[in-house]
Amino acid sequence: MSYKVTEEGNVATIHLDGEIDMDVTEKAKEVIFPHIEGGKEVHLNLSNVQYMDSSGISVLIESHQKALEKNTKVIIKDVSKSVLKVIMMAKLEQILNLE
Amino acid sequence: MSEIAHQNHSEKKAFLVNSSSLRDVRSFCRGVFEKLQINNDLKEELVLAIAEAAQNIVKHAFKNNADANELMVVQISCESNKLQIAFYDRGTPVDPKKVKHREIDNVKPGGLGTFFIQEIMDAVEFKDGKRPWINHLVLTKQL
Repeated sequence: MSYKVTEEGNVATIHLDGEIDMDVTEKAKEVIFPHIEGGKEVHLNLSNVQYMDSSGISVLIESHQKALEKNTKVIIKDVSKSVLKVIMMAKLEQILNLE
Repeated sequence: MSEIAHQNHSEKKAFLVNSSSLRDVRSFCRGVFEKLQINNDLKEELVLAIAEAAQNIVKHAFKNNADANELMVVQISCESNKLQIAFYDRGTPVDPKKVKHREIDNVKPGGLGTFFIQEIMDAVEFKDGKRPWINHLVLTKQL
């Protein structure tokens, strides 16, 4: 997994790239969580993530819940068809902020 | 159910029991499913189910602490359009009664892997592992 972060005002945009599985979840958390804990609104762009397993879905849930605690939000943008399918299988499309 | 008569085929491969192997497990599965001419949507669902089962071996049967040379084996077989995926490992014996996913409406991190496997596959069965194996999981799906 690779990533790119850009910041503008109170928004951190994080582009993740590659396959998100158990092997990279700690790295994904290290990239995402500090921005949430700093009170930023996080835009998580998943257009280049073609595979995500339950570990990756857990990172999305944890990010969403952390953001609520910090009175901010995580918006998942441009989710690929294959990852959307997994999000829907987990019945999270109404829980997570998808754009 | 698939309208294609998939050829009978069987392949197996051993992988080190660690999270870095999951990518290799997926790659192996995709290769076999391409040979079987399984369509892309179903192929990726099956890859997810298999990778989740392999992840459960790494995470639960070995508690993320397998010896460096410890192996798990994945065997994919297709016969008469019935797909069977077998997993063999030497981790802590699995008690099938304790293998449960979380309540799907109780949204929290974790507990989804087994749910995905059950959603995707027709049947999930733990069989007695024959030496040298301890656990023997079999997933099946009619194509």
